[in-house]
Amino acid sequence: MAQPAPGDLSPVEAQLLRLADDEYVLAERYTEWQIFAPTPEADLALANIAQDEFGHARLWYDLLQDEFGYEEPDLLWERDPGNFVHSPLVELETPDGDWADTVVRSYLYDVAERLRLDALADSSFDPIADRVRKVQSEEGYHREHAQSWLDRLTGGGGDAHRRVQSAVDRLFPYALTLFAPTANEDEIVAAGVRTRALADVRADWLDEVVPYLESLDVVVPDPSAVSHPDEVGRDGSHTGDWAALHEEFTATYHELGFDDPATLRSENA
Amino acid sequence: MIWEVFRQEEAGDRHTHCGNVHAPDREMALLFAQIQHGRRMQTNSLWVAPSDEIGEVDADETEFGGTTDKSYRWAITYNEIDASFAEEVAESEAEQEEAAEKRGDV
Repeated sequence: MAQPAPGDLSPVEAQLLRLADDEYVLAERYTEWQIFAPTPEADLALANIAQDEFGHARLWYDLLQDEFGYEEPDLLWERDPGNFVHSPLVELETPDGDWADTVVRSYLYDVAERLRLDALADSSFDPIADRVRKVQSEEGYHREHAQSWLDRLTGGGGDAHRRVQSAVDRLFPYALTLFAPTANEDEIVAAGVRTRALADVRADWLDEVVPYLESLDVVVPDPSAVSHPDEVGRDGSHTGDWAALHEEFTATYHELGFDDPATLRSENA
Repeated sequence: MIWEVFRQEEAGDRHTHCGNVHAPDREMALLFAQIQHGRRMQTNSLWVAPSDEIGEVDADETEFGGTTDKSYRWAITYNEIDASFAEEVAESEAEQEEAAEKRGDV
């Protein structure tokens, strides 16, 4: 079976792949905080969120395997980095030790995630609708976690507030790529795979994210005025940060020369 | 700030102290406690309380139960009770016997 390649996918495959890649790559970035987070409690909470996101990625990759015949190496270990379709928001390298960057990214992502899942809850493709409910029940914690941190980082002004502001300035244009369409966006909606258009989901996201951040005295860039990044992810285009991350998470697979990588509870584990 | 964490396994059970978390306030303590103390074990409910707010008195400061003979407190001081009729009597007997053994009275 060939690797999935953007532009050459059925509507269901295209929807599943962007879901899976977003979750997987974000979890990779979260795990980089392990042992470096501000406190042991913060470390555990973020590690747990990363595990949730890996679990969600697994749900969507499994569907691609079960329903469309891909093998795990096609989807992860041997897929060309230019065939990943996650939003660049989730691939950007975290500025050294900048917890505010991770908190802001998490907030921007998790609100979009909730709205996206709501738009998939009545998917015409039943296996998606079934799995959405499992994911939704874990996502509530993620948003509460991100918002609790944001409230506190911005509450006292000073350096923490300044860092949140600069993370918003840096990440906001990339967050808008969460709603960038894949080639067959129209078919995805027409077939009812997702019941709402990305443009509508984006409008709801702005209605929620902008007033909340402004209530924290954070200035949000005008979405119609920001300079949009050239890399939108959904078509396989990525920032310079992606190549190194991709190389890192596939390094062990290549070094060990697995013919058949072990999975949890499988015969090879 | 340290928050003590108390976990309840099932509705109706007692909340039992299970550890603590560092957190700046109650809301964050509850968020962290969910992960640290509610993730791996069956959990129905968690309480958090600031460590400073917990009062303590220990065996160095007081004699729990007093020092003189209080055997009249024992359910078994009543003669000819068939404990099988009342579970709580049987439990009380067992509890008191165990306590006496630990004190070295028996």
